Amino acid sequence: MAMAALRREGRRFLLPTASSAPTIAARSAISNEESCLFGVRSISTQIVRNRMKSVKNIQKITKAMKMVAASKLRGVQIRTEASRGVWQPFIALLGDSPSIDVKKNVIVTVSSDKGLCGGINSTSVKVSKALFKVYSGPEKEPKYVILGEKGKAQLVRDSKDHIMLSVSELQKNPVNYTQVSVLADDILKNVEFDALRVVYNKFRSIVLFIPTVSTILSPETIEKESEAGGSLGDLDLYEIEGGETKSEVLQNLTEFQFSCVMFNAVLENACSELGARMSAMDSSSRNAGEMLDRLTLAYNRTRQASITTELIEIISGASALEG
Amino acid sequence: MSSTAAVPFWRAAGMTYITYSNICASLLRNCLKEPYKSDAASREKVHFAVSKWGNGKPEKPNISRLLVLKAVMPSECLHYLYF
Repeated sequence: MAMAALRREGRRFLLPTASSAPTIAARSAISNEESCLFGVRSISTQIVRNRMKSVKNIQKITKAMKMVAASKLRGVQIRTEASRGVWQPFIALLGDSPSIDVKKNVIVTVSSDKGLCGGINSTSVKVSKALFKVYSGPEKEPKYVILGEKGKAQLVRDSKDHIMLSVSELQKNPVNYTQVSVLADDILKNVEFDALRVVYNKFRSIVLFIPTVSTILSPETIEKESEAGGSLGDLDLYEIEGGETKSEVLQNLTEFQFSCVMFNAVLENACSELGARMSAMDSSSRNAGEMLDRLTLAYNRTRQASITTELIEIISGASALEG
Repeated sequence: MSSTAAVPFWRAAGMTYITYSNICASLLRNCLKEPYKSDAASREKVHFAVSKWGNGKPEKPNISRLLVLKAVMPSECLHYLYF
């Protein structure tokens, strides 16, 4: 009896709003519950529904990002694979000697401008920090040159005193050789070095990126090394055409080598970034889907429970009147 | 025709091999005919921002754009390249 009174009370409370806005009657049962300010009998599902909506939107966004990354990746991957032929002759001629010990080391960290691409930026930062430790010692202090916002943000925290240059907005236009070579030129003009160590993520496949270090020696270092023999000792076997001296040729060669290696490094890193973004966005849209399933289940359960309660109320009220 | 004798001249002008080769490449691109010319020109776009760091702080970024190649090429350099 008391229950029925409460029910009538509630209906009376609702009536004025229903008459002033006739459309309310057309709304679903759930929204009618929502507008019931007095004596809320069931749990509000508003929060869950909002949550579901936002998760759905996030899923849409991550799916779109995945598609964009996938379509961009195809073009960049072809160019990256083509660019590998650019530095290989230099390895044949000058070799790659990461273990060489010199005074002035400059670590060139290649990272991306945008986030949401898995761990590729923190990998290259980690490798750069490790290199920093390896090459630092008495009377020698490595310096950083950073490409990309994300690497900068990570390195600023604990090694901002060692940063010499930072470069960003490199990927506004599609990466081309001219752009990277102008950048390489800028770095060469602003930095004194015996060896440049370029750190980047080499693209192997969509899910596999290998942190890589390429070493570029200064012409003086190469000359010293080739005189001392070792891996660069064979350099004297080459004949030099024209009236140039060996040091002039070496200087031109190292400058060109640096721009070529940078070109490849920037492309490889861009390719890895897109691949990483693709797989990250894939897993996040899958996660969003799972979350949505859980929320839908919870939502339906609550809805059903409230319907059941209402039915029980009606039936028990009716039987109380009868009995 | 550029000859090997040109090297000391562009070195003396403060150019690196990269700048020199870029200028040569840009000249070569200009020799192309139209449908290919604009295609090649799109590969010439330069855009990035460099900032030098001092005392653990970045200075104002210096934004490089397309103008780089044309700007560093005074007419005397062209002269060396052609003759």
